[in-house]
Amino acid sequence: MSTPARNHSPTPAPRAPSHWLPDSLWIERSELDSALARRLRSRLADTSVRVVDDCSEAEPRENFAAGKRRLLIKRHRGSFMQYCPAGTPGLVCCNYLVVSFASNCPFDCSYCFLQDYLANNGAVKVSSNVGDGLAEIDAVLRAHPGRTFRIGTGELADSLALDHLTDLSCELVPFFAERANGLLELKTKSNCIDNLLDVDAKDRTVVSWSLNASAVMATEEPGAASLEERICAAQQVQAAGYRVGFHFDPLVAHDGWEEGYRQVIGQVFPRLDTRRIAWVSLGSLRLAPALRAAIKARPQPSLLLTGELVPGRDGKDRAWRGLRVKMYRRMLDWLRQIDHRMPVYMCMEPPGVWGKVFGESPSDRELAERLVALPTLTAL
Amino acid sequence: MLEPALEDALRAFAGGRRYHAATIERWLALDPADAQALLVLAQQLRLGENQLRDLWDWAEEIAQRDRTAVAQVLSSEPLAAARQAHKVGRNDRLKLTKAALRRLRFPQLSATEDRLAGLARRLELPRNVRISFPDFLEGEEVRVEITATSPAALRAAAERLRAAADSTICDEIFAVLGEAP
Repeated sequence: MSTPARNHSPTPAPRAPSHWLPDSLWIERSELDSALARRLRSRLADTSVRVVDDCSEAEPRENFAAGKRRLLIKRHRGSFMQYCPAGTPGLVCCNYLVVSFASNCPFDCSYCFLQDYLANNGAVKVSSNVGDGLAEIDAVLRAHPGRTFRIGTGELADSLALDHLTDLSCELVPFFAERANGLLELKTKSNCIDNLLDVDAKDRTVVSWSLNASAVMATEEPGAASLEERICAAQQVQAAGYRVGFHFDPLVAHDGWEEGYRQVIGQVFPRLDTRRIAWVSLGSLRLAPALRAAIKARPQPSLLLTGELVPGRDGKDRAWRGLRVKMYRRMLDWLRQIDHRMPVYMCMEPPGVWGKVFGESPSDRELAERLVALPTLTAL
Repeated sequence: MLEPALEDALRAFAGGRRYHAATIERWLALDPADAQALLVLAQQLRLGENQLRDLWDWAEEIAQRDRTAVAQVLSSEPLAAARQAHKVGRNDRLKLTKAALRRLRFPQLSATEDRLAGLARRLELPRNVRISFPDFLEGEEVRVEITATSPAALRAAAERLRAAADSTICDEIFAVLGEAP
């Protein structure tokens, strides 16, 4: 059942956006004259600026949280693109590509893998040489004209949380709008969407939000936009012509999870045009040993570690399999009740779990092709 | 802040077993009742550092989930019973304690494991046919092991296994293995 009769018109944001600002701005000396450095110096006129020859000076290695208060502009060296690090042998993978124009995130989600992945890499970093990254993407797309790539910027950073400062989306969205075989995903927990609203993305950009049960959002996602802010932002970008996506990842098995997730689905999806939802992903909380240690070391106790997490074959702790299957099936049921045509997939699960939840297990390639397919729902 | 006597006892025990300084510091930073309860446990079961840390982590996670204290968890009835089991040696007592704590830590998983064990018993397989399930039920493979010393014994076991596989109990086993109740 689709929801054409529902009201999808954007509602006004409940309060002024609380966009992140750094305590200090650090600039690699060689990039001092870059367009990005000029823009940020102008926008952060009241913020202290330090120019450094060695970028490691900007990284307070003893304190990962302190690094999230610093913004560092530096030249990106090496490749911008890589396969999504979630790809693991034995697990169904959507062949996602990640491109990193920034690393680290101003939000402080307790479950974030960056605590481990970037543990010695403190500051929030943005790359000054975006053009090099775009050239790299262009070369890949041109080299494989028969294949459509799903490419996201939200793996090592939030795609939009810094956009009010960097205007990165103003370069990315038009770039992808002109390319038939690239689909950009901007994945965020923010409501920094102003730059998106007046651009014609030509359906080559999907804006997606991570969602969770209220109890998890309230205690485990400090700094991120509230659920209401995310919903309002999603409504606005849909109204501006974008398809949107949602990621229930990580699903956390906590006391009251069924009611918590059912409620959030009921709060979000009826307020959107479900025919313009590109995908919904589901992924269980997964903790590598180092991430588990990082969560334990956080000053605030987390409800994450209280679930029935057991070691998996890839060395990561997850909710035990039967419980994961139960959670996925419930989520799928609730989503299907709203609109059975919404594309739903899972992240980092083996074929056996796919079989239990969806009754089928696609190959990596099949899954990737389904997710980049043209928005057939709009034609129905 | 611990009482000097408790701190001394703790340092003596941990030092004697060459615990790492970080573990000792973590221990000393606990609420006195929790530190004391862990010390009693460690002394009673003569725990090495890794053994203590495993039990401690679980106890801490249970305490957080149930909004109680580590000392309360360690003094709960199933744990007390395991630690005071009669006529068992230290190793078996440690196993019983760990199993009891595991049940508290993973209640749904343990209930499912119990249910599977019950279903497996209801298959009434002979002693030379063993059924086992994946660790932590992380997988849906059921392993069946037949031990036979003669063709006749093998045939007999295979027949019983065939009958078991045809029963609805077998279907139930795979259903339970597939999704939490």
